[in-house]
Amino acid sequence: MYIYIDGKKISAKDGESILEVANRNEIYIPTLCHHEALDDVGACRVCMVEITHKDWGGWRNLVTACLYPVEEGLVISTSSEAVRRSRGTTLDLLMARCPTSDVIRWMAEENGEISVRYEQIDDGSKCIMCSLCVRACERMGCNAIGTVGRGHDKKIAPPFFENPENCIGCGACAAICPTGHIEVNDTRTTREIWDKKFNFVACEGCGEPVLTEEYRDYAIANRDLPADYYTTCSACKKKKLASHFDKVGS
Amino acid sequence: MNAAPAVDMKQVGAVLARFEKGERSHLVHLLQDLQSEIHYLPGEAIRAAAEYLDVPLNSAFSVATFYKAFSLVPRGETIVKVCLGTSCHIRGAPVVVEDLRIGLGVGPGETTPDMKYTVEVVNCVGACALAPVVIANTRYIADVKPGTIVKIIEEG
Amino acid sequence: MGIANRKELEARRKALHKANENVKTHVRVCSGTGCAALGAFEVYDALVKESKKAGLPVQVELEPCGKEKDPLFVSLTGCQGFCQIGPLVHILPDDILYTGVKVSAVKDIVEKTLAGGQVVEKLLYKNPEDKKRLKGRADIPFYKGQELVALEGCGSVAADSLDSYVASGGFSSLAKALKMDPDQVISEVEKSGLRGRGGGGFPTGRKWRSCVSAEGDERFVICNGDEGDPGAFMDCCIMEGDPYRVIEGMIICAHAVGSSTGFIYVRHEYPRAVERLSLAVKTCEENGLLGKKILGSDLDFDISVARGGGAFVCGESTALMRSIEGSVGEPRAKYVRSVQRGFRDKPTVLNNVETFACVPSIINEGSDWFTSRGTEKSPGTKAFCLVGKVVNTGLIEVPMGTSLRDVVFGMGGGIIDGRPFKAVQTGGPSGGCLGEDHLDLPVDFDALAKAGSMMGSGGMIVMDDRTCMVDVAKYFLKFLMEESCGKCVPCREGVYQLHAMLDKLSRGEGEPQDLEKIQRLGKEIQVSSLCGLGKSAPNPVLSTLKNFREEYEAHVNDKRCPAGVCRDITTFTIDPDKCTGCLVCKKACPPDAISGEKKQVHIIDQDKCTQCGACRLVCKFDAVVTN
Ligand SMILES: Cc1cc2nc3c(=O)[nH]c(=O)nc-3n(C[C@H](O)[C@H](O)[C@H](O)COP(=O)(O)O)c2cc1C
Ligand code: FES
Ligand code: FES
Repeated sequence: MYIYIDGKKISAKDGESILEVANRNEIYIPTLCHHEALDDVGACRVCMVEITHKDWGGWRNLVTACLYPVEEGLVISTSSEAVRRSRGTTLDLLMARCPTSDVIRWMAEENGEISVRYEQIDDGSKCIMCSLCVRACERMGCNAIGTVGRGHDKKIAPPFFENPENCIGCGACAAICPTGHIEVNDTRTTREIWDKKFNFVACEGCGEPVLTEEYRDYAIANRDLPADYYTTCSACKKKKLASHFDKVGS
Repeated sequence: MNAAPAVDMKQVGAVLARFEKGERSHLVHLLQDLQSEIHYLPGEAIRAAAEYLDVPLNSAFSVATFYKAFSLVPRGETIVKVCLGTSCHIRGAPVVVEDLRIGLGVGPGETTPDMKYTVEVVNCVGACALAPVVIANTRYIADVKPGTIVKIIEEG
Repeated sequence: MGIANRKELEARRKALHKANENVKTHVRVCSGTGCAALGAFEVYDALVKESKKAGLPVQVELEPCGKEKDPLFVSLTGCQGFCQIGPLVHILPDDILYTGVKVSAVKDIVEKTLAGGQVVEKLLYKNPEDKKRLKGRADIPFYKGQELVALEGCGSVAADSLDSYVASGGFSSLAKALKMDPDQVISEVEKSGLRGRGGGGFPTGRKWRSCVSAEGDERFVICNGDEGDPGAFMDCCIMEGDPYRVIEGMIICAHAVGSSTGFIYVRHEYPRAVERLSLAVKTCEENGLLGKKILGSDLDFDISVARGGGAFVCGESTALMRSIEGSVGEPRAKYVRSVQRGFRDKPTVLNNVETFACVPSIINEGSDWFTSRGTEKSPGTKAFCLVGKVVNTGLIEVPMGTSLRDVVFGMGGGIIDGRPFKAVQTGGPSGGCLGEDHLDLPVDFDALAKAGSMMGSGGMIVMDDRTCMVDVAKYFLKFLMEESCGKCVPCREGVYQLHAMLDKLSRGEGEPQDLEKIQRLGKEIQVSSLCGLGKSAPNPVLSTLKNFREEYEAHVNDKRCPAGVCRDITTFTIDPDKCTGCLVCKKACPPDAISGEKKQVHIIDQDKCTQCGACRLVCKFDAVVTN
C-alpha cells in the first residue's frame, strides 16, 4: 500500500505503524516513550502527527504515530500547525515537570516553542513517566520495578520502595531512560542502582568489568549460552574471535 | 507507617484458598477480599497474593497502589467516609470535613493516634438526594448538618 | 425448580399470577440506597411484624401456591425515586405514598390503613407550594411527566426475587428474542435507535453488529456498572432494584452477538449492588436462565460479577477490560476498537447498565414503541439523577427532549428556599454547566453537546446563586487530577496545571491573561490526550468559562467570589438588621468563631473564621452576608 508523509508518496505494509514507516524512510518524528524492541504505549504524546484521507471529506485528526496503524492512502503531516501546537504544549508541560532535563528543553526548542508557561515543579526529578524502564525490565524478565500510584503522583519504583529483590543490576532501565533520570553509580568493581549494590564480574582477558554477578547467574540460568560467554568482555571476545580466524587463516 | 500489628498469615491463607491458584485475573478481587478481612493490605499479604496468583510482585504493587479501595497502612476501627461527590460538595460536604478535622483532629486519609477513626473522602455513594452523606463503617448518615457529625459518630 | 424452556417460563408466570390473584394489597417498601440509609429495612421488618401481630394475612414472598387467603403482600423494592423524603412506603392498588416513614409510624399504617382502610394524612407528601397533602404518585408533581422504561421495575418488583420479576413479565423478552434470528434481534435494536446511556450515545445496534462482523473465535459481553460520575446513581438504582432486567438484557445481547461469557463490572462503593447482582446471577444459574441451553435454546451464557477497585478511569472501556483482567486500569489507544479487539483481545460488546435495561422492553414492545417517545435522533427515555440545590431531589426518568425547565422547575419543584437558579451541570466530570438561557433546551444527546455540555450518564446537578462556577470547575479538575491514570502527559500534567491555575484564581491571585491560558491549555488537552478522560477533562472549566465568564472575571479583576464560596477572597459577616440572635450559626461554627447571646446580634470573629460557610448554610434569616 501507499501512504503520504509530508507530501511524499511512500510504500508501507499492512500492520506497520506510521512511526515505523517514517523511521524506515528517515523522516524524523520525535519520540520519548518509543523503543523498537518494546511494545508501544502512547504515553508521551510527542510523536503526534495529523492525519487525513481523501475519502474523509476534509476531516483531520491528531494521532500518535507510534500506535496508529497505516492504511491505504493515509495522508500524514508530521509538522502541521496543529501538530506543533499539540507537541509544544506537551513539551511545555514536561518542562514544567522536569525543569532540569536538557533533553526535554532541546526537544522543545527544536519544536519552536520555548516559552515556559506553567507552574514549575522543581523536585529535581527528570522522570517523565514514559515507562520505558519498566517495560525494559519486564522484557528482561526481572519485573524489578513498576508504576506506583496514579495520576499526578504516579511514580516508578521497586515494590514497597525497598531495594528490589529481582533486580540483577543489568542497567537496562538506566540505559533506556530518555532523560537520564535513573541513577547508576559504577566503579571498576561495583555498581549501585535502585539503592542496591552489585559486584562486577571482571573480564578474564583484560580485567574490565563485564556484568554483575547477579546478571551472570540470571543469564546462565535463563539463556542457552555457555557459562564462559559471560566472563569475557565484548572487546576481548572480538580479539579472541579475530585470533581464532587468524589461526584458521594461516 | 503506624506500628502495624502482626499479620495473621492463616487468615491470609484462608482468603487465598477461595481463589483459583495461578489465575492472574483474580488479583483485584483477591486484594479486595484481603482488605475487607484485614482492613488494610499489609506487605506480607500482597506478597502472598502475588505468589499465589503467579503475578510478578511489581504488578501486584502497582495494582495495590493504583486503586483507591486499597490501603497499605492500618486503618482505624471506624472508617468515616465523607462523600465529596458533586451533590454533596455543593450541599456542604466541605464543612463536614472541616468539622471532622477540628472534632477528631484528623483530615482526609488520616487515622487518629488511638486507631479509633480513619477519615476518608469518597466520590458519590449513590445517595445524592440526601446530600451531604457520611458513612461510618456501614452506617449511612444522611443530610449532615454543620456542627453535628462528630457527636453523631462518637455516639455510634 | 428450574425453568427449562419457554413453556415452563409461561407456566411459572401463570402459577405466580394465580397465586397473586387474591392478593388484595401490595405494600412496597423502598430499599434504595437513600431510603435504606434512612432506615427502610427497619421499617420493613416492623411492618411485617406489626401486620402479623394485627392478625393480617401477610405474605412476603410470591409463592406459586400461596397459602393465605386474601394475603397482604409486603415487599422490598428498589429505588422508588423520591429518595429525599424516604423511607417511602407505597401501597397499592390505592396508590398511597407514605413518606418519611419511621418505625414509630408503622403501627399507624398497619392499624389505620392496612386493617382499617383509611389514609394516615400526616405521612402523606406535603406540597411545599400550598402545604396541601397529596395522596399518591399520581398527584405528586415529582412523578408527573415521568415515563419509566429502564426504571420500570425499579420500585415495583421485589428486588431480590426472581419470581417477582417473572410475574411482572420478566424474561418473556428473552424468550421472544431466542425465537428470533440473532440478526433480527440486532435489526430490532438498530431500528429502535437506542443509543448508549453510558455517556457517548453510540448507537447500540451498530455496536452489536460490528462485534458480530469482527473476526474472533470467542466474544464477550460486558456490562459497565462503574458509574464513576460523582453525583449520579441511576445505574446503582437499576442494579440494586431490578438486577434481573440487566441480566436479561445481557443474555439477549449474548444471543445477538454469539457470546458465551459475560461480565458485570460494578463500582466498589456500591456494596449492595454487588450483593444483589451476585444473588440474581446465582438464582438465574439455579433456574437455568444462565448456563447451558438457556430456555431450551442453543445458547450457553455465563455471567461473572467483577468489583471495581475505586478508580473513575475504569469506567472507560479499555481500562475497564484491563481491570477485569486483574491489571492496573490504564486505558489504551482505541485505534483498533474494542468491538474488534477488546477483552483478552477478543471482540467485545461493552454497554452501560441502563442501555442493557432498555433492551428487554425494546424486544418485547418493538422498536416502534420505543421510537414513539423521545426525539428523532435520541429516541426513548433517559434516567436522570436530579440533585443539588433543587427542592425535590431523586431519581427520575423522562422522555428525551423534555426541557431542562420542566425537569428543574416541574419535577424538581424549583430551587431550595426560592433562591435564584444559576446553572445545571450535566455529564459529570466530562460535562458542562448550562445557565438560565439554556433552560428551554430539550434534553437529548445532540442538544446538550451542541450547547457545550453532554448527556453523560445522567447526573443533573442544579446550582443556585450560592454555587461558585470557578469552584465547581476547580472541584471537577481536582477530581480528575486524582482520578487520571497518570499514563499520558497532557492529562497527567495538563489537568494538574489547569487545576493550579484555577486554584490561583480562587485565591484571588489570578491575572487577566490566565483566562486565555486556561482556554488554550484546555483545548490542547482535549486533542492530545490518550483516552476519553483526558479528552473531556477540560469540559467543565471550558463550559463555565464560556457561559459564566463574568464570574471568572470577578475573581480576577475584583478579587471577589460573587457566590461567596472561594474562601481566600470571601469574608463572612452578620447583618445586624437581619440577625435574630437564634444561636443556630454559633452552634454550627466548627472553629467557634461566632459570639453572641440569645436574642442578641451575633458577631463573627474574623481572626478565628475559616470561611467554611457553615453559618450561612444554617441561617434561616439570610443574615450571614459575604463581600
Ligand atoms: C473516563 C471515562 C469514564 C467513563 N465512565 C463510565 C461509567 O462510569 N459508566 C458507563 O457506563 N460508561 C462510562 N464511560 C463510557 C464508556 O467508556 C463506554 O463508552 C460505555 O460504557 C459504553 O456503553 P454505552 O454505549 O451503552 O453507553 C466512561 C468513559 C470515560 C472516558
Ligand atoms: S512515542 Fe508515541 S506517544 Fe510516546
Ligand atoms: S454526591 Fe454524595 S452521595 Fe452522591
